[in-house]
Amino acid sequence: MTRGDTLVVVAVVALALLSAPTAGALVAPAGGMAVLRGPAGSTTVDLSSPGRYIVSGRTGDVVFEVDEGAITVTSADCPDQLCVRMGAAAPGRPVICAPNGVSATFANGPGESLDAVSR
Amino acid sequence: MLSPADRSAAQRIASTAVLLALAAVLGYLESVVLPPLPVPGLRVGLANIVVVFALATYGPRVAGIVSIGRVFVVALAAGTLGGPSFLLSLGGALAALAVMIVLASAGPLFSVIGWSVAGSAAHVAGQLLVAAALVTSAAPLALLPVSLGLSIPLGFAVGYSARLLISRVPDLSLSAAGR
Repeated sequence: MTRGDTLVVVAVVALALLSAPTAGALVAPAGGMAVLRGPAGSTTVDLSSPGRYIVSGRTGDVVFEVDEGAITVTSADCPDQLCVRMGAAAPGRPVICAPNGVSATFANGPGESLDAVSR
Repeated sequence: MLSPADRSAAQRIASTAVLLALAAVLGYLESVVLPPLPVPGLRVGLANIVVVFALATYGPRVAGIVSIGRVFVVALAAGTLGGPSFLLSLGGALAALAVMIVLASAGPLFSVIGWSVAGSAAHVAGQLLVAAALVTSAAPLALLPVSLGLSIPLGFAVGYSARLLISRVPDLSLSAAGR
């Protein structure tokens, strides 16, 4: 490794550390609510009541399940199924289905409703 | 009979085509054999071994053809050309390629390992930016710290593999012998 390579590693580590507070601020702390966002808009769901939510994405449906205060993607019409493998959303770690343009993040309070969500 | 210049051009075109095919196959194999990492946009990046190799041995133009061409070839084969998956791949590939070309142009200050680590970080950052645009939310950027952190070992693995490849292909390692 050259000195320049070491600089690259230090720069990436520094970027990761510097982006941590900003990234944390992008996602609200756990407040018992989650925001489901899709191409048609967004809606807030209560994590204290179990339920199943279907969000219409760009390439198909993304199915979210709320159970015991956690929200996960149980199935999605996307090639890699990364969103299904990501597990439950957590503060600072949203669940995203990028091909469908759908995400779930924690929220503090109720938001607007989304026509494309069916429960 | 071909002139030396024509023969050189033909060899270059053939080599570029071979590298492009290799990158496409490695990218496909990775998606089939290796399970995706549980962070959007994060992959081992086996295809980037070929891009780093192309950049070290043939220069930015061929590396660009291999990197961007691979995205188009895979998208055409998968039927996702112009779709969200294609845009994610293209965003990551363009960001990684741009950063690696800048480092490569700096001369011996950076080795292929540095190119690869920087390219890996730029790739995840580029993909997360495209993902943020696709979900029309900044939420994907919350994954930036963990993605950047994981991109370092992945970049090292790809960079060392590329360096090993360069050292084992002596006829092609003209400009990259010291890297």
